[in-house]
Amino acid sequence: MDIAYVSELAVNGALTGLLYSLFALGLVLIYKSSSVPNLAQGALTMLAAYVVLALSRQLGFPLWLGIAVTTIIMFLAGFGVEKVTLRRMAGRPIVMILMMTLGLDIFIRGSTLAVWGGTSRSMELGVSYDPLFLGPLLLSRINLAGACVAIALFVAFLLFFRTRRGIRLRAISDDYVASWSIGISVEHGVALSWGMASVVAVASAVIWGEIQGVDQSLSQLLLKGLTVAVLGGLDSIVGAILAGIVLGVIENVGASYLDLVVGGGSRDLIVAAVLIFTVMLRPHGLFGRHDIERV
Amino acid sequence: MKPNDIQQDGPILSMNSVEVLYNSVMLAIKGVSIEVPYGGMVALLGSNGAGKSTTLKAISGLLSAERGKVSRGEIRFDGRVIGDNPPQQRVGLGICHVIEGRRVFEHLTPDENLEAAAPMSLSRTRVASEKARIYDYFPRLAERKSSLAGYLSGGEQQMLAIGRALMTQPRLLMLDEPSLGLAPFLVAEIFEIIKRINRDHGLSVLLVEQNALAALDIVSRGYLIENGRVVMHDTAERLKANSDIQEFYLGGSQAKSFHDIKHYRRRKRWLS
Repeated sequence: MDIAYVSELAVNGALTGLLYSLFALGLVLIYKSSSVPNLAQGALTMLAAYVVLALSRQLGFPLWLGIAVTTIIMFLAGFGVEKVTLRRMAGRPIVMILMMTLGLDIFIRGSTLAVWGGTSRSMELGVSYDPLFLGPLLLSRINLAGACVAIALFVAFLLFFRTRRGIRLRAISDDYVASWSIGISVEHGVALSWGMASVVAVASAVIWGEIQGVDQSLSQLLLKGLTVAVLGGLDSIVGAILAGIVLGVIENVGASYLDLVVGGGSRDLIVAAVLIFTVMLRPHGLFGRHDIERV
Repeated sequence: MKPNDIQQDGPILSMNSVEVLYNSVMLAIKGVSIEVPYGGMVALLGSNGAGKSTTLKAISGLLSAERGKVSRGEIRFDGRVIGDNPPQQRVGLGICHVIEGRRVFEHLTPDENLEAAAPMSLSRTRVASEKARIYDYFPRLAERKSSLAGYLSGGEQQMLAIGRALMTQPRLLMLDEPSLGLAPFLVAEIFEIIKRINRDHGLSVLLVEQNALAALDIVSRGYLIENGRVVMHDTAERLKANSDIQEFYLGGSQAKSFHDIKHYRRRKRWLS
C-alpha cells in the first residue's frame, strides 16, 4: 500500500472523526454538569434535522434562518426536557436516570417517525461536491466545512468553561450538594447544559444530515458519538476532539484493509472494538477525570 | 463580609421548636430552639448523631437533598421566616453552610473553587478583590491556588471550604465540624482565623463541633444537643465550668466507663 493512499484515508478519517467529536460534544456537555450519559442525544440530533427541514421546506424559511430558528427551538426543547423529565430524578440511582434518557430516545424517534415518516430527505446545504485537492490528497468539501464548524464550537465551549458560569457547571458535576451549599442553582445549571447540548445537536444535525441524508438512521450516530465520548473520557472537551480524530483515522484506515479480508461492513466492528477495549483497559478514557486520592 | 451595618437588637437567627422528619417517618430533631445574636459566635455541641448537622441543614435548606423536611416549628433569619426557600435563595439572604467533610470541588483549582461561589451579580473586579481578601486570611491557599483542590492537604481543604463560603458574602456562617480529622495546631489556626473574620466583619457564626474544648474557647454561648433535643444552653464560661460537660465532652479527670456514661445520660433523661 502506498503512503499517499494511506495518508488520504487518514486525513479524511480525521475530518470525519471531528464530526464524531462534534456529536460527542453534546454528550460531554451534559456529562460535565450532571454526570449523566445522555442516550437521547442521537434522537435529539435527528429531531433537530427534521425541524430544520420542516422550517425550510414546509414553512419556506431560507435555510440559514431555518437553522437559526431551530437552534432557539432546540435550546428551549433541551432546557424543557430536562425540567420536565429529569428534574424530579435528582438523587435517584444513575441507572434510573439512564433509563429515562433511553425512554426519551425511543419517544423522540417514535414521534419523528409518526410525523415525518421513514423516507430519507436531503438537507441541500448547497455545498459543492466537486473534488477538492489539497496537494495530492482528495478531500470531501462537506467534511472539511463540518470540521471547521466543529473546531469553532470546541473553542467556544472551552472558553465558556473558563467563565464564572462555566466554572459553576463544572462545580455541579464535581459535587452537587456542595454546589447547593454555596448558592449555585444546580437545577438551572443542569437544564442549561441540556440546552447547550441541544444546540450542539443542531450543528451536528445539519452537517450529518447533508452527509448521509435525514432519516431515522441519523439517530444511530449515538453509537459513534458514545464511543468517542468514552474514549475521550466523557467529561473532557479536548478528550472528545482527540478521541474523535483517533477513532476517525482508525476506522477509515482500518476498514479499508479489513474490508478486503471480510468483504465489507467492518466499520462498525472497529468502532465497537474501540468502545469495548476502552471500557476494559482504560475506563477513564484518554483525558477523563480520575477520582483523586491523596496520599 | 459586609461591615456590621445591621440592627443589633434581636437575634440574626432564631429557631423555634423545630422538628425535622427524614423520609416522612424518621424524627431527627425534636423541637430544637436556638438563637444566634447579630455578630455573635455560638457553638452547637453534642455527640455523634445527636442532631447537630440536621439542625444546620434545616437552616441552610440542604435537608431537601436528603429527603428531609422541617415538619414543625419556625426558622427566622434577620426577622424573616424562611420556610420552603431552596438553598440558593437562603445563600442569597446571607446564610452559608460549610458542610461536613470539607467537600471542596476536587477537580477545580482553589481559585476556581472561590470563583464558583461568587454570586453572579458580583462584578469581576469585586470578585478579584474578594478573592484577594480570602487569600489574605488563608495565605496557604494563595501558594497553591493553581493546583487541583483534590490534592490539597486536609487543613488546606478546610480553609478552602471556609474561604469558598466567605465568597458568597454571608452574614451567618455555619460550620459543620471544621476540626474533623485535622491536627490540633491546624484546628487552632483555623479557629483563630474564624474569630478574626468574626471580629473584623461582624460575621455571625454558628459552629457545630464534637471538639467542645476548642469550640468553647472561641464562642460566647453554647447549646448542648442530645438525642434531637437541646438539653443545656449557657455562656461558654459556665459551660466549661459545668461538671457534666467536663465529664462527657471535655474529658474529665476521673475517666468513667461507657456503661456509666450511658447510665448517667439515661438518668438525666437525655436518652429517650
